[in-house]
Amino acid sequence: MKITSSRISQLIFLAIFIILFANTEYRGKDEISAAINSFFRANPLVTISYIFAAKAATILLIPGFMMILASAILGRFFCGWICPLGTIIDLITGTIRKSAPLKFLKGRFKYYLLFTLLAAALFNVNIAGVFDPIAILVRALTFFLYPLLGYTVRNGWAGLYSALGEKRDYLDPLFAFLRDYVLPFRETFYPLAFLSLIFFMGILFLERYEKRNWCKNLCPLGTLLGILGGLSLFKRIPGKLCADCGKCKDICPTGFDTDTLQKSDCILCMDCELQCAFKRVAFPFKGVSSIKRDKGGSAQPVMGRRVFLGSIVSGFFLSRVFAFQSPVQHERLLRPPGVKDEKDFLKKCVRCGECMKVCLRSALYPDYFKAGLYGVFMPVIIPRLGYCEYNCNLCGQVCPTGAIPNLSLEKKKKSVIGTAVLDKNHCLPYAKKINCIVCEEHCPIPEKAIRFEVVEEKDHNGKLVVLKRPYIVEQLCNGCGICENKCPLEGKSAIEVFAQGKRATNA
Amino acid sequence: MKRRDFLKVAVGSCLLGGIYPEAFAQAQSVVALAEGQDYGAITRNVVSALGGMQRFVKPGNTVVVKPNIGWDRKPEYAANTHPLVVKAIVEECVKAGAKRVKVFDIPCNDPRRCYENSGIQAILKGLKNVEMKHVERERFKNIKINGSFLKEWELYDEALSADVLINVPIAKHHGLTRLTLGLKNMMGIMGGNRGYIHRNMEDALADLNQTVRSRLTIIDATRILLDHGPQGGSLKDVKVLNRVIASTDIVAADAYATTFFGLNPQDISTTVSAHKRGLGEMNLSKIKLIKA
Repeated sequence: MKITSSRISQLIFLAIFIILFANTEYRGKDEISAAINSFFRANPLVTISYIFAAKAATILLIPGFMMILASAILGRFFCGWICPLGTIIDLITGTIRKSAPLKFLKGRFKYYLLFTLLAAALFNVNIAGVFDPIAILVRALTFFLYPLLGYTVRNGWAGLYSALGEKRDYLDPLFAFLRDYVLPFRETFYPLAFLSLIFFMGILFLERYEKRNWCKNLCPLGTLLGILGGLSLFKRIPGKLCADCGKCKDICPTGFDTDTLQKSDCILCMDCELQCAFKRVAFPFKGVSSIKRDKGGSAQPVMGRRVFLGSIVSGFFLSRVFAFQSPVQHERLLRPPGVKDEKDFLKKCVRCGECMKVCLRSALYPDYFKAGLYGVFMPVIIPRLGYCEYNCNLCGQVCPTGAIPNLSLEKKKKSVIGTAVLDKNHCLPYAKKINCIVCEEHCPIPEKAIRFEVVEEKDHNGKLVVLKRPYIVEQLCNGCGICENKCPLEGKSAIEVFAQGKRATNA
Repeated sequence: MKRRDFLKVAVGSCLLGGIYPEAFAQAQSVVALAEGQDYGAITRNVVSALGGMQRFVKPGNTVVVKPNIGWDRKPEYAANTHPLVVKAIVEECVKAGAKRVKVFDIPCNDPRRCYENSGIQAILKGLKNVEMKHVERERFKNIKINGSFLKEWELYDEALSADVLINVPIAKHHGLTRLTLGLKNMMGIMGGNRGYIHRNMEDALADLNQTVRSRLTIIDATRILLDHGPQGGSLKDVKVLNRVIASTDIVAADAYATTFFGLNPQDISTTVSAHKRGLGEMNLSKIKLIKA
């Protein structure tokens, strides 16, 4: 593996990516300044699918526009210089023996994929994020690899305790760095961890067939950047393999499927320039005038009417085919604080997993059924596992598109996630005439959205008891779910948050 | 036993009796009270009124200081023990020669936010031989309690193995038990499904405090929470008292702190229950008050 400028840049961006990932976490400050969301905000696929779906733009997307502009001028440099998934692929591909490229991925497959996703977005169902390479990487990390790291290291540390007991404290300074800066704060298991891993491992598996297989034949972000890169003012010369050498075909990771360089696939790694024995290769500035002249040379069956119309139809189908939703499931469809409208959320959410990574109490989990199949990987609160912390608004801060609005703390505290409902068949003071009111104790609303009435009753043994029976003040409840989380009953909670109340309050 | 050994033991226990008067149960319960706006100073005053920290902490001891850090609230909301009170106690322990002072709680809200927002983590930062860590799950030990309500429970090893345990609650309102004071603050060393003990809080707390005894109870009443406890959230419910009290008798401390709320010790069932179990004195006329 040669150390080239592009490789150095790749490694730097991978390091930045990992550092930002590890810092997408509460570390004692109410504000998060660095979050991996910069990788999503400067992501043209996110930008364009958002605009198509929401039919609007937001100031948050400005970096995305800048990336679109930069790619149209410089070419598809993101894939060869920045993309952390591309870098991971480059780092491992050398160890994987290649068989022949997969035929069915060649041709226009990736264009159909990209335009189908964009067309579906146009029909109000934005699932581009499911296939976004950065989102795939972040999800695999957030839902599986990072918890796995935490689980492994922490279990090792716990193992030391069973061996050494309190003497382990002498090793504590060594462990402190890992605990404070690297590991997740608590053990969390995510649904869809397996699916996130399958996506990620699948991409690596594709390297069995050819180098950068995902990048050049599937990746919708890469395809989009390739189309923009086709307009680039720089052009590699020579445009074809030289008759007397032809080594570029082996060196090039993406662009030389045929004897002619496909400009839209060139990721500007410039390995060919460095390795050319005859010093023939260069990437000169051609200016605007070059675009038209070049058309004949590097053009390939890109869009065409067929791809365009075909994608509109399949995008339209895609936007309706998974439309089934269960109303019962909707009752518990608890979206992060500040999300008002489910349809709007579906247009804007990237499914990048950042809110779930940052969530302080591990309240947010990737959904797979509550909102129908379109909701896959979108965040829902599962209060029995984790509640929304009253003084925290980190999810809104890290959301790259504002799908979860970045509310001030005061507004966030009042934004309604749902409403708590008592189940008197389970709740101890009602069902068993035993005192409890753990829910009232934990309710964070200063005036208490859970209150209690004191009654004197005979218990089931005929003994007179003074009972404190909880009730809910619906106008005050914001549905944070701490009551459901802390209810001391085993298994099912006697108080549960339902998505009801949301419609009325947020209308 | 040789005669010389017998004498050693006999003389030793007489000395010990002098140093630890309440080791002989008949001794009168003492509550020290100090008032003032310098919270560090009044905390030190109540400790020295009881004989100074060196009475409790010997050189080389490991000390656990257990404040209430249960909630994600700032100090002025009176949901957690005041950081200045905690700091003064910790410093006194170090001065008395403690090898290590451990400060922790098992909070109800997110532990990181509670440690941060309580102001306690920040104020203890950099103090030598003082540590404030989050609890680690593997350190809970299943302890046989064999009480009237709790049969066995997971308790935190650091609280169990400490040479000295100092209990530093804040006095505040609580929906179920009306007040939460010293006896209830000990709940912070419990793991497991703590909400379970709400079913019979009086007996559970007596069981717990019978199993794990705090050497000293220092109640922070610099400001108290009058309503919507135990976490409050509105300054309207907070009353500034500028007081700290201390006692080696946890029930006496609780009983006296009850009067700050205009209530009688008999009104608080957890105090009554602990008194009945012989954990301490709740009758105010039998408690000696020292104003420090």
